[in-house]
Amino acid sequence: MFVLSGYEYLLGFLLICSLVPILALTAAKLVRPSRRGPERRTTYESGMEPIGGAWIQFNIRYYMFALVFVIFDVETVFLYPWAVTFNQLGLLAFIEALIFIAILVVGLVYAWRKGALEWS
Amino acid sequence: MTLAEGVQLVSTIILSVMMIGAAIGVVLLSNIVYSAFLLGGVFISMAGLYLLLNADFVATAQVLIYVGAVNVLILFAIMLVNKRQDFAPMPKAWVRRGATAMVCAGLFALLSTMVLATPWSFSTTVPSSAGAIKAIGRHFFTDFLLPFELASVLLLMALVGAVILARREFIPESAVTDLQATPLTLPERPRELVPVGGTPSQEESK
Repeated sequence: MFVLSGYEYLLGFLLICSLVPILALTAAKLVRPSRRGPERRTTYESGMEPIGGAWIQFNIRYYMFALVFVIFDVETVFLYPWAVTFNQLGLLAFIEALIFIAILVVGLVYAWRKGALEWS
Repeated sequence: MTLAEGVQLVSTIILSVMMIGAAIGVVLLSNIVYSAFLLGGVFISMAGLYLLLNADFVATAQVLIYVGAVNVLILFAIMLVNKRQDFAPMPKAWVRRGATAMVCAGLFALLSTMVLATPWSFSTTVPSSAGAIKAIGRHFFTDFLLPFELASVLLLMALVGAVILARREFIPESAVTDLQATPLTLPERPRELVPVGGTPSQEESK
């Protein structure tokens, strides 16, 4: 028996999806004219000349957003079972989940007040 | 062997090869950005293995947390450092390499003997994941309610701690002045429009 019942469509999607880049690149290779040159090897950047390398230093502000994002990502994992069983659990669980979210909203307000979400 | 078992076996083999190959790449590649992206590949193939083991909630959590958050954080940490340095060859590097190899081989031998010596209790029944997430949800809101709410407090603490650490409020004034003398963050690169065929000598002088 197939252990993964219900994942047949996912498997089909994966197979078709893996075909898409192969077919696209092969078709492009058949159709396009073949020319070599330094311009062809450069990175496409909206038609402008690319400046410097791709490995540049990010602003530390991005790191703050990433940290806040991680916290709410973990919150999503906790809320996912609640969303699945929402119909069976009833009002009490809804209030409990609201408490859960409210505690985290306190953290969001703190980060907001501290200017972690601001761009300055 | 039926078709389903064959599909499962092939998927397991593909995922295992992907995971081991990506893990070897993480260790061996010298460019750490490539290593970080390959680490994401390791996590994704691990999620696929969890799916094959009928643990779909664990697979979801794996993708959400490890691929979505932890790996992004690692990439951010790499991109913040901005030191693309080529490692200089060290004198007597073979001593360190030999010691590292011995430690790793010893650890591997220890773990493999432990795995082989442990009497695993395999169950022949197929675990069903049909109601796993619903069961987790029911447990969260009945008998595991307190840990569930405490988890939010833990997340709150982590958020506040991250904000405080990243804002460097705990550093005394003297250290702050030192930090400002040699700032850790450079301003963002100015993005100017350079005419095509601009002066390449500026690029090289950086």
